[in-house]
Amino acid sequence: MKTIIKNITFALVIICACSCKKLDLNVNPVAPVTVPSKQRLPAIEANLAYSLYSQARFGAYHSYYFTTRAGNSNAITDTWNYNSITRMGAWRWHYFDVGSNVNGMVTRATEEGSNNYIGVGKIILAMSYLSATDVFGDMPFKEAYTGTFNPVYDTQEEVLAGVEKLLDEGVAELGKVTDQALSMDATSDLIYKGNLESWRAFAKAVRVRLKLRTVNFKGGNQELLTLVNDALLKFEDALFRYPKGSTSNWTHNTWGPNPPTAADAFQFADIKNDLVNTLPTDVLMKALTVVDGTTPVYDPRLFKLTTPGENNKYLGAKMSEGDKASNLPSNTTYKDFANLQNGYWTADDSPYPIIIKEELLFVKAETQFYLNDLQGALTTYQQAIRLNMERLGVAEGQIISYLGSAKVAQNSAALKISDIMMQKYIALYIQAETWSDMRRYGYSKNAYPDLYYPKYALAEWGGKYIQRFPYDPQTEYVYNPKEIDRLGARVRNWAFKPVWWVDNSTLKN
Amino acid sequence: MKRKLLMLFLSTFLLVAHAMAQQITVTGKVTSADDRLGVPGASVKIKGAASATQTNVDGAYSIKASKGDVLVFSYIGFVSQEKTVADAAVLNVVLATDSKALSEVVVTALGIERNKRTLTYSVQTVKGDDLRNSNQSNLINALQGQVAGAQISSSGGSPGLPSEIILRGSTTLSGDNQPLMIVDGIRVNNNSANGTVNRLADFNPEDIENVSILKGAAAAALYGIDAASGAIIITTKQGKAGTLQVSGSYKSFLETMGRTPRQQGIYTVGTGGVYDASSASSWGRKFRYDEKIYNNIDRFFETAITHDVNVNVNGGSEKLNYYVSGGYRNGGSMVPNTNQEKINLLMKGTAKLSSKIELTTSANYIKNNIQEGLGGASEGGWINSILRYPRMNDILEYQKPNGEPLYSYVEAGKEREARISPMWGVMRNPRNNDVERFLVNNNLVYKANDWITLNYRLGQDYTNSKYRIVTTPGTPGSNFGGSVTENNGVTKFVTSNFTSTFDKKFLEDFRATLIAGFSSEYYDNKSLSYTADNFLVGDIFSPNVVNKENLALTESWLRRQRYAVFGDLKLEYKNLVAIGITGRNDWTSTLPSNARTFYSPSYSASFSFSELFENKDSWFGKLRGSYARVGKDAPIYRTNTNLVSSLTVGGGFVTSATGGNPNLGPETTEEFEMGTELSFFKRRLNFDIAYYQRKSLNMIMTPRVPLPSGYVIMTFNAGSLRNRGVEFSVTGTPVKTDDFTWTSTLNAWKNTSKMLQFAGDIVTFKYTNAQLNAGVAATSLNEPVLGIVGSDYKRNEDGYIVVDKNGYPVLDNNNKERYIGNREPEFNIGFINNFKYKQFNLSFLWDFRIGGDILNASRQGMMANGIAYDIGQWRDKEFVFNGVVQQDDGTYIKNNKKVVLDYSYFANNYYSVGTNFVEKVNWARVRYITLGYQLPKTIASKLGFKNLGLELAAQNPFVITNYSGGDPEVNSAGPNAGGSGASTMGVDNGAIPLPRSFSLGINVTL
Repeated sequence: MKTIIKNITFALVIICACSCKKLDLNVNPVAPVTVPSKQRLPAIEANLAYSLYSQARFGAYHSYYFTTRAGNSNAITDTWNYNSITRMGAWRWHYFDVGSNVNGMVTRATEEGSNNYIGVGKIILAMSYLSATDVFGDMPFKEAYTGTFNPVYDTQEEVLAGVEKLLDEGVAELGKVTDQALSMDATSDLIYKGNLESWRAFAKAVRVRLKLRTVNFKGGNQELLTLVNDALLKFEDALFRYPKGSTSNWTHNTWGPNPPTAADAFQFADIKNDLVNTLPTDVLMKALTVVDGTTPVYDPRLFKLTTPGENNKYLGAKMSEGDKASNLPSNTTYKDFANLQNGYWTADDSPYPIIIKEELLFVKAETQFYLNDLQGALTTYQQAIRLNMERLGVAEGQIISYLGSAKVAQNSAALKISDIMMQKYIALYIQAETWSDMRRYGYSKNAYPDLYYPKYALAEWGGKYIQRFPYDPQTEYVYNPKEIDRLGARVRNWAFKPVWWVDNSTLKN
Repeated sequence: MKRKLLMLFLSTFLLVAHAMAQQITVTGKVTSADDRLGVPGASVKIKGAASATQTNVDGAYSIKASKGDVLVFSYIGFVSQEKTVADAAVLNVVLATDSKALSEVVVTALGIERNKRTLTYSVQTVKGDDLRNSNQSNLINALQGQVAGAQISSSGGSPGLPSEIILRGSTTLSGDNQPLMIVDGIRVNNNSANGTVNRLADFNPEDIENVSILKGAAAAALYGIDAASGAIIITTKQGKAGTLQVSGSYKSFLETMGRTPRQQGIYTVGTGGVYDASSASSWGRKFRYDEKIYNNIDRFFETAITHDVNVNVNGGSEKLNYYVSGGYRNGGSMVPNTNQEKINLLMKGTAKLSSKIELTTSANYIKNNIQEGLGGASEGGWINSILRYPRMNDILEYQKPNGEPLYSYVEAGKEREARISPMWGVMRNPRNNDVERFLVNNNLVYKANDWITLNYRLGQDYTNSKYRIVTTPGTPGSNFGGSVTENNGVTKFVTSNFTSTFDKKFLEDFRATLIAGFSSEYYDNKSLSYTADNFLVGDIFSPNVVNKENLALTESWLRRQRYAVFGDLKLEYKNLVAIGITGRNDWTSTLPSNARTFYSPSYSASFSFSELFENKDSWFGKLRGSYARVGKDAPIYRTNTNLVSSLTVGGGFVTSATGGNPNLGPETTEEFEMGTELSFFKRRLNFDIAYYQRKSLNMIMTPRVPLPSGYVIMTFNAGSLRNRGVEFSVTGTPVKTDDFTWTSTLNAWKNTSKMLQFAGDIVTFKYTNAQLNAGVAATSLNEPVLGIVGSDYKRNEDGYIVVDKNGYPVLDNNNKERYIGNREPEFNIGFINNFKYKQFNLSFLWDFRIGGDILNASRQGMMANGIAYDIGQWRDKEFVFNGVVQQDDGTYIKNNKKVVLDYSYFANNYYSVGTNFVEKVNWARVRYITLGYQLPKTIASKLGFKNLGLELAAQNPFVITNYSGGDPEVNSAGPNAGGSGASTMGVDNGAIPLPRSFSLGINVTL
């Protein structure tokens, strides 16, 4: 008996001793935990483009470039009703896809001594925060990435201060690059090929964009003008470029006809492209029509931004009314509109604009306008139009004739703010920045003469214009109910509450 | 009992026979009191001596004995008899069946057989024959209604769809709620990866001897880490010493569609009342009288045939017995292009290697290949595309004679966005799940002496699974250029455990049983998957014919190791009182090293008060109580964050959406249970009643988390919940005569749950997989766990719906997450009856469900699409809403304004309101009716068989319910969806209704 018990105990001890060390296998043997910073940056830049798209995919409709083809549907773009969404992709694209990866890269770059990657990472994060707060307003900044599931939401003013701080830190890091740093070149930096001077100028451009939101109520037009002039000195277009002829949807522009595949990108991350069921609005068509009439003359950029529809006609649909809008001839179909796909910004291999030079020029023109330097404003305005037409590949003769047309203000006395803003509207075609401009101006006819209230926006909005995105319903409303309640974000008409800089804007009306 | 068997065993096999003087040869026949037929394989031995023999096929025996010897005749299931050898050389014996013996011993944790009389917790056993009566190929479905406290729901009626079993309520909000599955002592894989069938369905019901359901934590406590949700212990048949027996059966099933949702047949496609061929929604004008309206739902589903063949051979000698079986199933489905081919081969043998050592070895090979037409909907929504397909189009027209897609609406150059019949996807883009599985199981038992037994078991469940989805080029959508995704994986569960049992009586009336042991369990899942898009050669679906930039390859390797030491001490005094204490310490690799070990104790006791009475043999009464606390570990690799390669321009690596959590701790389940077992009329009427309360503390979840944390998904300890319930089971034999027997079992149960605590500030937790916006499957603090939240109408203080001055009801602006439903049934009843009249046998199971809300997302989708039945009934009609209108002075008056129920009303009002899609559902259904007829043996033997039986059966023949949709048994995403059935049980999001099937069977014994 004793022997048996002894034997059992012995066997147990042996088995235990032989095997217990094997418990340390909770590490995935086929996936890395960290990689050199140069292997992180390409995807961060690609994700920044997706993130901006996730804002623009609604922004382009809210800023009256596009409307839903069927019209009178229960699509958000027709009703402005965000109460039925399951997820809000833009929230994720900023915090996770851009932000989390920047943080991962910065951690590694700090170990490596790669200050160049730290600097670029922080500048990208600043840009991402700015674009996110434009559509969300208050959001976590100080307590973001601290591990808490219920971070405090900082006010938009604080978030903007945080963006400036990130820019400062980023630029400072760029000044501390030593030979210790991993090299940054065209394979790791797909935007500027490792040119840190361009990144410094980009940081300035981000600051310009930020200041533009508050200058109207905080003052400082002169400082803004200095800043934008400084930025323009060495500014290069910040574009995320997609390869020509790629057959992989992952390396296509999200506005293109063959965007990244549904299962991963659309459903899970809420980043959808519905251009095929979308029509250009009458607002857009009016902006691109030089002479109206039976044989209209169009802005040559129309043929660059879009491709011809089947019937070679260029109708414009009223917002939310689609192809059955009352202003359209009977039996109108999608064939009577321009095809929105495969335009300059909407092909599979189109570059995705992060910030383009025209934007800085239009900010300069707008600032000059408010500084009453109307002649300066006119010159900058015309320069910006020319630059945009050149970018789109418009022939020189057409540029000259367009610039001399009645569509373009010809002298400083005639220059109106709407001239500047409508040209910026065309130049920044379908960028979310246009929605910011429009909100800054309170959707006013002053800046956007052709705007009107959509017929099928729900009556319960009481005639108010759409102002922001709701937070991600699937996470924020679940984990952070106290903050959501404090902000009052639970009500059905939350998306109609202006963000801080819109609320304070003096440009509305 | 156990001891008797042991003695019998020892005396039969272990002692050496020696010759005795004055022996005579006694012969005779052992027959059964039931059917007067010979009992083959019965044991005949001389009491107190070594000599023993067995009866032959006809029940005849022959043994050498001396005058005065006592012969003991015994056979499992019969009352043993003793006869003294007199002068006569012929001794015929009639054995009476023992109604007690069969139900006396139950299989408990670690396969330990225990006497039910002194069992201290609740275990319910389902006999293999009862399972087979239901004629379900998925074992989980076969348990439906047979177990009090088991909530079983299937994702729909199709061979590839999973079923889920939850014992005593959900224990976690996301993650596996299902009990541990054990087959012959080893842990088996019951995953349903990719939304395919739960792998327990691989096993052949024909091979099941019985299933023990350990419902509570105390019963399963010896399994420690996995005991939180209970355990299902499956024992397969084994060879019986005696004659070789060959039997076989053939069944054929005819399957047709059950109850489906209804559509309107009044309005055609379009928007805003205007016909528009480009629109897929049915909001157009009315159909013209000469336009054809297709009944697409009926046209889509087919009638299918399934064949099922089984053969088994069973026999053995004193030293060796064996059971060999083979099954083949060729299954069809009412879903077109859906079929199953399944092969089961089981070999099991027990050898007595010496007088003390016994080895049982089994090998089980399973092949289960399933092709599904409706696939790829891992989040439910299987038949939404069918429900919403315009009725102006014939669903059966989907391809041209040359095999190219035939779009029902297409615009030049926009084939990617074309509309096509869902039949195209069903016929051309099926998903295939091919599984080959091999289980080996060795069990070595060493009986050191009459009170010490050592047992070592080593087994492996090896599953090789191939999962493949094809998209044929030309299929509208993002994979227009064609796509194939294939995952090849190997899953291994290696179970190794050692137990030592010390079972000793002392001080006359006491008995102590100590079990001490050690176990190791290793899990390993390694898979390689690829996705290849845009085929260069349109009819070859292979990564060989795509550009390499359209090929993505992923390797995955999951590993987990667990160890445990455990002990179980049970003290019994007579049959009167029993006390049990178990303890188990687990070590697991999936938790951080500071939290990877935890201890799980259980305490239980029973008191058989009927033992105190003199007439104790005619009735039985027992009280029992138990408490257990068990720990549970986390999913694999959730303690740190990995990087995954990026497919975007420039490549590189990005943070995985699933973030690691270095602070994970174990989840704990505490359960308290009380119960009673009562038996009257010599076991003709039995009651088993249990009350339990189970708390799951610090439950581990892996949901989507707030993005500012930097991750999309994370595993964390998220909160605590409670389940509480009553289980009631009554089994009786109301009538028993020579010719007619009626046995009946009624299982009734009720479970209520409550969310006690959430991590952080969470008040309402919504589930990802139930994507209906107005109402969402969710759990709210202090509400039942399987809740529904959503919006409601604005109501005044008296509860009346507020109607605006235009006459339309007003939506509640402020609370979109009101608790509006509980998906858990209020009460469940399973009622099984079995009638035996002479050669006939009729059994059927009634299943009643009272209460429990269904979130009818199918209907919401169909309404949004304009094709729902209600739209046809109400659209453009005038209506006065029952509600009140607020006056300027703040008072309310009854609304009497007539309004038109137009598109805008439905789109922006009606289906924004969650309460419109929550239905409280009751059902009464017959799960099965099975009529068997056993040919009289005389006739059977003329035909050359020992037995010949015929069977006629129906499965799910009818359901009576108030549900407005299809079949009310819904679990849209199944057990795997983002976690578990807590998320989608009771959510109807395009669920495939259960089929109705009829079967014909024949079984023979040679």
